[in-house]
Amino acid sequence: MRARLLIIVLFTLLAAACNKTDGYGDLSVNIDYSVNGKALVTDSLCYTNEAGNTFMITEIQWFLSKMELQDERGEWQAIDKIFYIDTNIPESQTLTVASLPIGKYQTLRFTFGLDEEDNLTGLFSDPPESEMFWPDQLGGGYHYMKLNGKFVGAEGRLHPLAIHLGIGQNEDLTEFYQNYFTVELPIDFTIAANTENQLDLTMIVDNWFRDPNTIDFNEFGSHIMQNQTAQRLISGNGNDVFRTGKTTDMEKDNKLAEKFRNAMRLATPKPQFLSWKNVIECGMRNEE
Amino acid sequence: MRNEEIEDSTKLMRNEGIIRFWILAVAMLLGMASCRPEEEHYTPTAYELEQPSYFPTKNNIPADNPMTEEGVELGRKLFYDTRLSGRDGTDGIRCCASCHHQEHNFEFGSATHTHHAMLPLVNLVWNRTGLGWNGGVATLEDMVLAAVTSPVEINADTNQVVKYLQKTSDYPELFYKAFGSRDITFINIERAVAQFVRSLVSADSKFDRYLRGEETLTEDEKKGYELFCTEDGADCFHCHGGGGLALMTTNLFYNNGLDDEFNDPEDRSAVTGSHWDKGAYKAPTLRNIAVSAPYMHDGRFTTLDEVINFYSEGVKDSENINPLMHHVMDGGVQLTDLEKAQLKAFLNTLTDERFLNNPNHSNPNQ
Repeated sequence: MRARLLIIVLFTLLAAACNKTDGYGDLSVNIDYSVNGKALVTDSLCYTNEAGNTFMITEIQWFLSKMELQDERGEWQAIDKIFYIDTNIPESQTLTVASLPIGKYQTLRFTFGLDEEDNLTGLFSDPPESEMFWPDQLGGGYHYMKLNGKFVGAEGRLHPLAIHLGIGQNEDLTEFYQNYFTVELPIDFTIAANTENQLDLTMIVDNWFRDPNTIDFNEFGSHIMQNQTAQRLISGNGNDVFRTGKTTDMEKDNKLAEKFRNAMRLATPKPQFLSWKNVIECGMRNEE
Repeated sequence: MRNEEIEDSTKLMRNEGIIRFWILAVAMLLGMASCRPEEEHYTPTAYELEQPSYFPTKNNIPADNPMTEEGVELGRKLFYDTRLSGRDGTDGIRCCASCHHQEHNFEFGSATHTHHAMLPLVNLVWNRTGLGWNGGVATLEDMVLAAVTSPVEINADTNQVVKYLQKTSDYPELFYKAFGSRDITFINIERAVAQFVRSLVSADSKFDRYLRGEETLTEDEKKGYELFCTEDGADCFHCHGGGGLALMTTNLFYNNGLDDEFNDPEDRSAVTGSHWDKGAYKAPTLRNIAVSAPYMHDGRFTTLDEVINFYSEGVKDSENINPLMHHVMDGGVQLTDLEKAQLKAFLNTLTDERFLNNPNHSNPNQ
């Protein structure tokens, strides 16, 4: 009798212990980029924004912070980590989070960029994060995002494209404005133990430049760090820049994609300045 | 006992005898070995890098070449020793210090005497993007090999260098203390010189003391710093850092609009194969820039004024120019004479006299 009791107690303990190790799972968030409804191809001068500017993207470097997941009971699991994400660094495109309680989750929330609490000069002393620094004279801390590339200007010449977002200022550099924002996306996602729990998050790059504010690169295409109007308008478009899912999933039923493809056909890369011998078809990297 | 049995037992005894003999022999040998004096062993002292809190924490030190006091000191001796050329005489024998002068930020200080414009040997322990103007040399160890063997640099034969140094009275002992062997190898020569170069840290300019709150900048220097750090000003910071990136470089590669035609087979595109990297070169650190003339990858500018004038109104447009050259459509950042003077005043605060005169980095062979 006593032996049987002991066995029962032992089994209960064992089960409890198993529950404990099974109670958490790891999460990977895979970052993807889409432009004009297709997966981003860098260094390809083949995209068109809503204003009709033809452009290419060389790199996108940005911070995602204050990530939180809301479970089905409405409780938030905060992830105390700042993610630096860089199209030049493939491994940075996967955000790994260890030990989240297993179960169903209904909302993903994060800060695009860095908020007042995090965005302080000196937070990072190592590259590549330190290369994102935002000068103290302009409010300090770090760029939320550097999106670099080129666009074809109104006169047909190739211009620098540098969409750099961060803290804004007044003209005298005496007042500063926070331009980060919070993104909240509904998800239907389960964290299970002992499996790779993968969530896809896509930045729809062209949405930075449309709805509600149409961004013409001839006006706001570069040196916008000291242009709070540009900062406000572009950040203001951030609402629908992020979506869960992969770019390829979106391509299937994305009417916007078709709209942009039409726009691309109508767009006018008619360069008088360059021979364009090195400009390449969308989706193909050029080789000398 | 049958005959066979007797034979067997004799065989067995004979075998046992042989075994016993060998056990004894091995035991004696072991005994003799233990009687020998203990193998000498010297443990070098780990080298502590001095660095301010705002410098990177991740050092680029290869796992197989940790820095030691002895290694750095040996590297320093080699750096300044013409015996690194592996030969005697006065037929133009050279060492690293023939061209890398401490007072010029470990550059030559003039374009006319070197076959290419140089990059400073400063704070390279935090460089992670390769060496040389196109980043094509992976490590400082590789750079030592390249410099020693290059016909336009030290022009030496590595076997001869090793043989030559092995015969000296001083070097074998120093190699033993640094690397545990008196048998000199070229790999250990590379390692020692690389260790010395990694010890060259500049972090005590006026700008550093300003960052540490120990000194204030003059009004002109402050205004120059603001110009340096603003897009509407001189727009330098994206590539050359500032308070948040105090190495004063990203160590990355940019086409900065010096030219609009590109034929250099050794630009960054030679390493990456990318068309967009044509005419791109490493952004050098601006630490000690005032004493690091000539400027640019081809040394085309001899004064800081020429450099500032170039960025102000001489930038050339091409499809290869880096997107961070925001003001290319205006030909540059368009500074007034006063702004140019202020920017130069700030650049002068990056001169680190303590580094340029640090006795720990000077010629130990004198």
